[in-house]
Amino acid sequence: MINSQKIHDGAPIRRKSVRNRRKQFAGLLFIAPALILVATFFVIPLGMAFWMSLHNWPLLGRPRFIGIDNYVRLTQDAQFWSSMRFTVYYTVVVTIAIFAVAFPLALFADKAHRFTKFYRTAFFLPVVVGFGSASLLWAWLLDVDSGLFSPAAEYLGLMAKRINLLADFDTTFWSIIIMVVWKTAGFNMIILLTGLQGISTEVQEAARIDGASSWQRFRRITLPLMRRTIALALILSVSGSMLAFDQFYIIADGGPQNRTVTAVYWIFSQSFGSFRLGYGAALSMVLLVILVFISVVQLRLLRTPEGM
Amino acid sequence: MSARRSASARHLYASLRYNGFGIVAAFLFLAPLAWSVLVSFKPSVEARQPPLPPWPVDGFSVQSYENLAKYGSGIWTYAGNSLTVALATVVASVTVSLLAGYGFSRFHFPFKNMLFVLIISTVMIPFQSILTPLFLILTKLGLQNTLTGIVLVYVTLQLPFSIFMMRNAFDAVPKEIEDAARVDGASIFAVLYRIMLPLVLPGVVTVAIFAFLASWNEFLAALILLTDQNKYTLPVLMAAVRSGQFGTIDWGAVQSGVTLMMAPCLVLFLGLQHYYIRGLTAGAVK
Amino acid sequence: MKLLKIVALAATALATTLSTSAFAQEKLTMWSRSSSEAFMPALIDAFNASHKTQIELQIVPSAEMVQKYATAAAGGSAPDFVSLDLVYGPAFAKSGALEDLTDVAKSLPYFEHLSKAHIGTGTFEGRIYAMPMSADASVLLWNKKLFKQAGLDPEKGPTNWAEIEAAASKVNALGGDIRGFYFAGACGGCNAFTFMPLIWASGGDILVDGGKRATLDSPQMYDAINFYRDLVAKGYVPESAKTDSGKNFFGGFATDKIGLSPIGAFAIGNLVKNYPTVEFGVTFIPGKDGGKASFGGGDNFVVTAGRDNAPAAKEFLEFVYSLEGQTLLAKLGSLPTRDDVAAEAVKSLDQRYQVATEALKIGRTPSSPVYNDIINSSTGPWKQMLNEVFFGDDVKGSVTKAQAAMQAILDEAD
Repeated sequence: MINSQKIHDGAPIRRKSVRNRRKQFAGLLFIAPALILVATFFVIPLGMAFWMSLHNWPLLGRPRFIGIDNYVRLTQDAQFWSSMRFTVYYTVVVTIAIFAVAFPLALFADKAHRFTKFYRTAFFLPVVVGFGSASLLWAWLLDVDSGLFSPAAEYLGLMAKRINLLADFDTTFWSIIIMVVWKTAGFNMIILLTGLQGISTEVQEAARIDGASSWQRFRRITLPLMRRTIALALILSVSGSMLAFDQFYIIADGGPQNRTVTAVYWIFSQSFGSFRLGYGAALSMVLLVILVFISVVQLRLLRTPEGM
Repeated sequence: MSARRSASARHLYASLRYNGFGIVAAFLFLAPLAWSVLVSFKPSVEARQPPLPPWPVDGFSVQSYENLAKYGSGIWTYAGNSLTVALATVVASVTVSLLAGYGFSRFHFPFKNMLFVLIISTVMIPFQSILTPLFLILTKLGLQNTLTGIVLVYVTLQLPFSIFMMRNAFDAVPKEIEDAARVDGASIFAVLYRIMLPLVLPGVVTVAIFAFLASWNEFLAALILLTDQNKYTLPVLMAAVRSGQFGTIDWGAVQSGVTLMMAPCLVLFLGLQHYYIRGLTAGAVK
Repeated sequence: MKLLKIVALAATALATTLSTSAFAQEKLTMWSRSSSEAFMPALIDAFNASHKTQIELQIVPSAEMVQKYATAAAGGSAPDFVSLDLVYGPAFAKSGALEDLTDVAKSLPYFEHLSKAHIGTGTFEGRIYAMPMSADASVLLWNKKLFKQAGLDPEKGPTNWAEIEAAASKVNALGGDIRGFYFAGACGGCNAFTFMPLIWASGGDILVDGGKRATLDSPQMYDAINFYRDLVAKGYVPESAKTDSGKNFFGGFATDKIGLSPIGAFAIGNLVKNYPTVEFGVTFIPGKDGGKASFGGGDNFVVTAGRDNAPAAKEFLEFVYSLEGQTLLAKLGSLPTRDDVAAEAVKSLDQRYQVATEALKIGRTPSSPVYNDIINSSTGPWKQMLNEVFFGDDVKGSVTKAQAAMQAILDEAD
């Protein structure tokens, strides 16, 4: 097409640049609605949040400019840092747990059996239930009087009496980990499955003929070839977990004794419980910086030679 | 002879093992959902007891649903609002991300990569932290306490994912198809609508389902940004049910609410899962 | 083309918003929290039926009421009136969001008879910003049927801690899933309501010097803690109490399997109406060696500042404090807030309301602009301390830590 133009056109270069500019303009037009939305409902609010973080900004009453005082104060905020530590701990544990479940499920669902599709659907169903509903459901399952787990354990004779699973840090924490794995493993399974299906069977077959064991094949062929898929699943899981809130708010109420208060929970509580909007905004900024940092590190570590 | 028999025995054993694992795992994933649905049909008093067995023993009852309907200004108002908001979010999300995905995939313009990264990186912002500014902006725009306002917010929250999906979907379509159509003199919108749309349909369905799920289930923004109880959505109602009325929590009503919240999500997914999984995989490959 | 559609959609939406907000101006708007759903709609209906001024009531989920009102006020879309949990009065008054009602209050001839607890928290720096709306007072409930079964006198409630423990022990001995005592162990607000009176009745306090100083580290506090720890250690308290964040504050007693529970007067009407089989008695929350105290709870009526609604507010309040209004409130589950007509208002009701009405007269409410942060907040020092000391090991350490945390919040607010 371009060739034919060149032949027939007297001034191909100029024409082309006009066309290019028009095309550029069209491209911008296509993304304009998205840009307007992001600017109005994300960039500007974020800018406002930063501005607020420099103020003593009560929800009601007059804001007062205080420079970086909020940031100075948050370095001494023991609860914020313990929430931050807890959030990181949770993120590490839950991400490992999700992968530990989702990877075998993906390998399982990759096989072509008669009922594979049914199994795949079953594993995926909890994903489509909202986090709020899922948390409510599990809050009930974990209830000591009307729930399932504790009474069932007593009924089966596993425990002498009913134990309140939410009264102890470890049982609360692991219950929530199990709930989150239940809820999100299916999603990660599908993503990993995509990567698995992208690997040509010939490569696997060739390795098998060369005498590689299944573990070796997994280690040497499957994992490296799935690098990008794993990176995607990892980044989604990590940034999602770092922002965890609903499940801890609804199931555990931050308990026992504020030990499962996550970073976002603390921000929420400072902003909408104590109405220190400026301080909450400053906490958000810090969390944001930490998240960006973690994402960049992850991208670096998992970068393939061709780039992401 | 015996070699062949043992081969088929091995095959049978492998199949048993496969399905055995599958059934146990599927049970673990489905059981909590089933438990909740079954318990929601127990009479109130029975729903207070541990759910062993999960199905109603004293007969089927919709008492829990009736109790649920008593909260606030009637369950149908809330369900109607939720549905309106979810459908509007779906339509707007699909439209905006279809255009943007096409733009990012097929055009070159200044700062393209930067803008793309900007949009995608919004997933890293805890949206709880921009809730107050959002409220103030919506008030300025006259959209505070309107379903339109909340829809626009939801669409924006979904944009990083939607645009990522749609750009990848368009990237996967060979350029030649489009060029051929352009040679025939079709306009850019005609190409997008008639040629491209069917090709990226799995991506569209994925974006639509995600938009639906997210907006149907969202609680906090709905609570803060809507001030009129006739405009509340289902999750706001659930918050009231969850916190218990007069210091008593009605687990039956909670489960009927959970069931009500889950049902459209499950139906939608089961109906469209063919597209959805395909869209998700196509989007994630890139 | 689709873009055009979106613009059109947005424009229509804008138009509808504008027209609805214009419509909304004709009526005064009022919010109240979902826990007062039993009586507020009926009260407003009665008011609207007999007055030219019309009020439109919205029910807001209790847990989210404060954040919603504050956000709406910041955005300029707050309702005209709010029935607000009385403990939040000082916080909102301090921020300047509330209309000064001092003149309205002083013009009422029966001002002196309005609930002291309510007026106390409604007063900020000498001016009155909030007036009593609905009331609740904490009392001690006991289960008569279980008392009888356990060989206790079903008509006589305990009058000191030793008697509570003895009764709880006997009821608990009935076995099965029957327990002696219940309280919501992970709820700051509930325990302000039910645990603070134990300290007050024993001569201690939580906040002193006009709410500027916290006194958690007091001998009365340790006594009360040990009293509860004992009940827990001896197994008189159900396992579920450890994590009850207030969801099931009342639910425990209503199951007919709990011997005693400190709770609010709201429970009386609720039990009579919804759990008619539960036979119960009502008495005062006692101190260690007798005495009595109560937490004055409920809602205050506040007016959003700067709208010139004081005359309408006065009209409404006069209706609320009339015998008709007070009787209606009492019948539907709130205690009367005006003590000179209280006896008349509860006359036709269950006798047990009399105890609660008396309790409200001695009701106290700590007043502080940071009440939520120090007491109610689910991440605050009060809730954390109580959960630790009731069920944990390091009582001294927890109290010391909470005392420091609470004082820090109070100092900062100054």
